[in-house]
Amino acid sequence: MVLPILRGISLKVDAGEFVAIMGPSGSGKTTLLNIIGCLDSIDGGSYFLAGERVEQANDDDLARIRSKHIGFVFQLFNLIPRVSALRNVELPMIYSNIKAADRQKKALLALEKVAVDDRANHNPNQLSGGQQQRVAIARALVNDPELLVADEPTGSLDSTTGQEIMELFRRLNQSGTTIVMVTHEEEIAAYAKRIVRLKDGIIASDNGA
Amino acid sequence: MITFFLDRFSEAIYALKDNLRRTLLSILGIAVGIAAVMAVGTISKGGNYLIFSELETFGLNSLWVFRDRGDKDPNRRVREGSGIDNEVYQVLSSGCCPAVRRVSAMVHGAPGKRIIVQTSNNYSNARIQGVDVSLTTIANDVITQGRPLRDRDVKSRRAVAILGPTAAKDLFGAASPVGREFRIDNLKFTAIGVLQEKSRDFLASIGSSGGQDANNRILIPYTTFQQMQGHKNIGYLQAEAVTLAQALDAANQIITVLERYNGRHYKYKSDTMATYIKTTQRILDGVAMIGIVAASVSLLVGGMGIMNIMSTSVLERTREIGLRKAVGARRSDIMLQFLLEAVVISTAGGIIGLTLGSVASVVLAEITGFPLTPSFVVIVVALLVSIVVGIVSGFLPARRAARLHPVEALRYE
Repeated sequence: MVLPILRGISLKVDAGEFVAIMGPSGSGKTTLLNIIGCLDSIDGGSYFLAGERVEQANDDDLARIRSKHIGFVFQLFNLIPRVSALRNVELPMIYSNIKAADRQKKALLALEKVAVDDRANHNPNQLSGGQQQRVAIARALVNDPELLVADEPTGSLDSTTGQEIMELFRRLNQSGTTIVMVTHEEEIAAYAKRIVRLKDGIIASDNGA
Repeated sequence: MITFFLDRFSEAIYALKDNLRRTLLSILGIAVGIAAVMAVGTISKGGNYLIFSELETFGLNSLWVFRDRGDKDPNRRVREGSGIDNEVYQVLSSGCCPAVRRVSAMVHGAPGKRIIVQTSNNYSNARIQGVDVSLTTIANDVITQGRPLRDRDVKSRRAVAILGPTAAKDLFGAASPVGREFRIDNLKFTAIGVLQEKSRDFLASIGSSGGQDANNRILIPYTTFQQMQGHKNIGYLQAEAVTLAQALDAANQIITVLERYNGRHYKYKSDTMATYIKTTQRILDGVAMIGIVAASVSLLVGGMGIMNIMSTSVLERTREIGLRKAVGARRSDIMLQFLLEAVVISTAGGIIGLTLGSVASVVLAEITGFPLTPSFVVIVVALLVSIVVGIVSGFLPARRAARLHPVEALRYE
């Protein structure tokens, strides 16, 4: 039995936008984000990403699309605890078969972009929450994705650190990265240019439509 | 390609190092299994070597043809005697049978009659065998001093003898017997050669040495022995087949000739070394099989250990798997990752097991004196087996990991 979570969502995000998805819990915002990020597939309807239809794609196609087009930032960072920040950032490039030497160079560059290159050889448990999230963002950026997908990126951080992360997001967006982010905090959502509010699986309001 | 595997390999090493104690324990499990399998393999190889090196002292292609004493057929005009005489032996030794390379008449003393072998101050209880010139070659005998028998010795019924090492020592002590004289009953013999020592200790210990001491015998021309006993009988024939596989053919060809000449009165039968070898081989294989099955159980337990820790590892790293998928890992990447971890464990276990097994072999070799060096084949097989154990026991956990849905995996607490 299919339990409909999203019903009649029609959403168009242009390149270069910074969108926040908000809504009460159970409204389907994370599901929508997972679909946008090609982590989950839809049972009906269609989804175009960068001009490519993806609703029919199989697991491996989705993996390839994620690897090439999408970077993820999670609430709980999801860093691999046993390896250094640098190696964590290298991880996506392992799956896109980039040579070890190039990988290190690009990973360091990504860490520099988010201002934690001085912690490259630290393991995640030696880093603060904000630093961990910066490493996670570097990981999301390292394959140069067009789209950054973030699920409650400040949810595990104090408000000052959260705002620092949002400043970083804003800078990234200004330099051309499209960002779609789920949050339930108004002051975080305020960093986005466009706010989409969901309720019971439908779009209740969208200030950019 | 190399980058690809180096990356996957180093990922596996990092993951395994993270749970070092667990990893080491499962490595140990495989190591014990491999060492056990290897020890059994090496021991059975050593046993094979021992038994075959002793069987070789009979000549591997050897066969024996003798009268079938169960030939009490009422329609047959049964006679006494061995059923083999010089006349038919002439036919047999002049190349009658294509599967026979060479044949020797074997003449022994009359049963129950003691033959006295002595010098002026020593005596020997060696067994006297009347043989043809071909026997030493057939039976893999090596002459260490002096010379072998020659045709002239046999034709002229010379009183010459080749001594087994025990007989030589009993009669002449440490001195070389070649050219020295001694007596067999009342006939004066000259020693012309000495045989190399033959070891049949193991076969003797299981009562399979043919009941005779290969080192305590004296070979003389069969013609001389016949003359001493006043008959022209040949006790039995020992022959060498052209190949091991033709041993039975060779025996049957000889029997055919014998029956053509003497079939009215006698029946014949044969023994071949090939039969003994086959039987021995079967017994040894059976023993080895039991050992390998027993050792494999420990390998199986080791494999289950790997399966267990890989399952635990997949469960513990569910979120990590979700993350890897999110950043672009395909099913096959995840599958390969966990399989590789299992294979690294099992191969490390295999290498340690091989080392343990080799050390055990060397120690055993030192104690027993058998050449128990582990062969290249054993090493390759042990490594292959450990890799296979890794793949098999890693497969199910790896597949479970590969099939995880990224969203659910990321949500896992």
